[in-house]
Amino acid sequence: MKILVAIKRVVDFNVRVQVKPDGSGVATDGVKMSINPFDEIAVEEALRIKEAGKADEVIVVTIGNNSAQQQLRTALAMGADRAILIETESELQSLKAATSLLNVVEKEQPGMVIMGKQAIDGDNNQTPQMLATLWKRPQATFVSKLEINDDTLLATREVDEGLETIEVRLPAVISTDLRLNEPRFVKLPDIMKAKRKPLDIIAIDETLSGFEDKELTIQKYETPQARQKGIMVESVDELVALLKEKGLA
Amino acid sequence: MEITEIINCLKLEIANIEYTTQTDDLNTYGQDWTRFHQVDAGVIVFPKTVEQVQTIVKLANKLDFKLVPSGGRTGYSGGAVATQKEVVVSLEKMRQILDFNVDDSQVIVQAGVITEQLHRYAEEKGLFYPVDFASSGSSQIGGNIATNAGGIRVLRYGMTRDYVAGLKVVTATGEVLNLNQGLIKNATGYDLRHLMIGSEGTLGIVVEATMQLIKPAVEQSVMLLALSSLDAVMRVFSIAKQQLNLSAYEFFTDIALNHVCGHRSLDKPFDESAPCYVLCEFDEDEEAVMQVFEQGMETGDILDGVISQSLEQGQLFWQYREGISESIAHFSPYKNDIAVKVSLVPDFMNKLDALVSQHYPQFELVWFGHIGDGNLHLNIIKPDDMNIDDFKAECETVNTHVYGLIQQMGGSISAEHGVGMIKKPYLGYSRSAEELQLLKGIKKVFDPKNILNPGKLV
Ligand SMILES: Cc1cc2nc3c(=O)[nH]c(=O)nc-3n(C[C@H](O)[C@H](O)[C@H](O)COP(=O)(O)OP(=O)(O)OC[C@H]3O[C@@H](n4cnc5c(N)ncnc54)[C@H](O)[C@@H]3O)c2cc1C
Repeated sequence: MKILVAIKRVVDFNVRVQVKPDGSGVATDGVKMSINPFDEIAVEEALRIKEAGKADEVIVVTIGNNSAQQQLRTALAMGADRAILIETESELQSLKAATSLLNVVEKEQPGMVIMGKQAIDGDNNQTPQMLATLWKRPQATFVSKLEINDDTLLATREVDEGLETIEVRLPAVISTDLRLNEPRFVKLPDIMKAKRKPLDIIAIDETLSGFEDKELTIQKYETPQARQKGIMVESVDELVALLKEKGLA
Repeated sequence: MEITEIINCLKLEIANIEYTTQTDDLNTYGQDWTRFHQVDAGVIVFPKTVEQVQTIVKLANKLDFKLVPSGGRTGYSGGAVATQKEVVVSLEKMRQILDFNVDDSQVIVQAGVITEQLHRYAEEKGLFYPVDFASSGSSQIGGNIATNAGGIRVLRYGMTRDYVAGLKVVTATGEVLNLNQGLIKNATGYDLRHLMIGSEGTLGIVVEATMQLIKPAVEQSVMLLALSSLDAVMRVFSIAKQQLNLSAYEFFTDIALNHVCGHRSLDKPFDESAPCYVLCEFDEDEEAVMQVFEQGMETGDILDGVISQSLEQGQLFWQYREGISESIAHFSPYKNDIAVKVSLVPDFMNKLDALVSQHYPQFELVWFGHIGDGNLHLNIIKPDDMNIDDFKAECETVNTHVYGLIQQMGGSISAEHGVGMIKKPYLGYSRSAEELQLLKGIKKVFDPKNILNPGKLV
C-alpha cells in the first residue's frame, strides 16, 4: 500500500503573528516557517504504519511556493520516500487545494491519504473532508488512534462528547488530531540522505484542469482587539467588592 | 535586640509596613536554592517603595540590626539565606515596570521584576532581553544584578552586567544613589554601578534598574549532538564556532540526561546513549550545520545529531539541558560552578575528570555547563544514606583539590552563581590576598556597621 501525506508550510506555531500594516495579510518576511503541526503528526503516523510493515511507500505532497521544498525535505528526512511539490505563488482555499490534491491521488492511487485536521494558518478544517468527498471515499477525521487491518481501518476520533471509534473501508482519508502521536526528531545524517530522495515539482495548473474558480475574496486582515490587562487584587475582600461592582457576584 | 522590638520600631517608622513572622514564611523567605544552612530568619519585610527600603536600612544602622536582601531566592550560594535572625528584605512587592523609552531601547524596572517578566515585556516592544537561564521564571532583576547572572547565551550576549545602563541603589548606610542614569558613554571616574553589580547585597540594595534591550536575533536553530568523549566537546566547539554564528553551546553528560528524562518523563533524544552531549543554538544555516556535522562524524567526535524543525522542538531540546538542575535538586547536590579561559577548557576537563574520579569514587557526579564560555557545573549528588553535614564536609575536603587546580589555571571558583556563604571560605583561590584586602576595604566604606548581608562574600 502507498500512503500519501499532505503537508503545509505555515508560520511556526510559536511565532506571534502580525498583520501587515496595510491589512493585506499576515507578515511572513523573516518569520520562522514550519510544517503545520497536525501535518507533522500525519507524516509520523504514515512512517509508523510503514515501519510496522503495513505500507511500502510514503509520499509527501504539498501545495505552495518554492520555499515549501524545505518542509518536504524535512518530511523526507523524517523518513518519507519521495515528495511532490505542487507549485503555486498564491494562497489556496480549501476546495481548490482538495481538487489539486485529488489529481495527485488519482495518479498515485494511495491506499490511504493522511493529513492534518486543519492548518494552523487559516484553521479551516475543510480540505480532508472535501478531498474525501471529491474522491468518493470514506473519511475518518480528528483521529487520535489508528489501527490498520487488511482492507479496513479502525479509527478513534476525538469528538465533542469524547471518543468515538469507527471502522472505515480503505482507501480512505484520515485527518489527524494532536494526540495521535509524538513526531520524531530529524537526524542530521537523514537530512543528508533526504537530499538524494526524489522531489517532483508540478505546476498547479496541471492539477486543476476543469476547476471552476469560485474562491471567496478576502477583503482585509485585522488584529483582534487587545484584551484588557488583568489586575492584581490585594485581598479577598477587594476581589469580592470588584466582582460585585461588575455585577458578577 | 529582640525581633519584636525591631518590628515595633519598623511599624513606628512605616505605619503600614507589610511583614511576616510565620514559621513557614520565615523558612521560605529565609532560604535560597541551597540546603546546607540552618535557616533562622527574624522577620520578613516587604517594602513597597524606595523610601520604605531607605527607612528600613537607616533604622538598621541606628538600632544595629542586620539585613538580608532577598530576590527570587533562586541563588546557589546561600547569598539570600538568613541564619542569624536577620531582617530579610524581600523585594517581591516592588515588581513594576516603571518606564520605557523607544529611542534608548531602555526600560526602567523595579528590582523585584521577574526576569521572565522582562523577557516578555521586551518581546511586546519588538525587542529582546537576552540574559536567560532555567530559573528566569522566579529570579528577579535585582537578584540577577546582585549576582551578575550569566546563563545560557553568554557566548553571544554576555552577562547581566552588559545590560545594566543605570541603577538606583539604597546603600548600606541608607543613601539613595542614582548611578549612570542610562548613559552609554560616561567617563567620569569610578563606575559605582559596576561595583554594585555582582556585590551580592553586601554594599547596597538595588531598588530600580535601567535595563538595555536589544534587537531580537534572527530565528535560531537548535541542534543536539551526541559525542564520543569529553575530549570531543571542545574539538567540536572549535569547528562549530568557526562555521556557525552560535548563541549557545551547552554540554551535559549521559548521567545528567538520564536525570532530566526521568524527572520530566521525556524520551531520550537518541536511540543509543553517548558519553556526553552538546546543545548548540545558532542562526539558521543548513549548509554550515551539515559541514560541522560531517567534519565531526569523520573525526569520530560526533556520533549522532538531531536538529529542531520548529520552535517548539527547539524548546524541547532545551529542556534536556535546562531541566538538569531541577531534576537533581532533591538530591541536595553540592554544586561547583567553575570557569577557566576557553582555551584551557580541554586541559582543565581532563585534569578535573582525573581528580574527581580519584577523590569522589563513592559519589555520583553530574557534569554540565555553559562550556562555550568556559563555565562548567560539576554537581556532586548526596548519597541517600549520608547525612547532609557529613556530605558537605566530605565535599569540602575535595574542594581544596578542585580549587587548587583552578588556582593553578587562573580560573574562577564561582563563574556565575556568586560567593555568598558557600564559596566564601574559598575566595582566596581566585582572588589574591591584596585583592581581598581591597574588597574588605570597599565593604567598610559602604557598610561601616556591617549591616548588609554580614557573613557573605567578603
Ligand atoms: C534551576 C536554576 C538554574 C540556574 N541557572 C543559572 C545560570 O544559568 N546562570 C546564573 O548566573 N545563575 C543561575 N542560577 C542561579 C540564580 O538563578 C541566579 O544567581 C539569580 O541571579 C539569582 O536571582 P534571585 O532574584 O533569585 O536572587 P536571590 O537568590 O534572592 O539572591 C541572590 C543574591 O543577591 C542578593 N540580592 C537579591 N536581590 C537583591 C537586591 N534587590 N539588591 C541587592 N541584593 C540583592 C541576595 O542577598 C543574594 O546575595 C540558577 C538557579 C536555579 C535554581
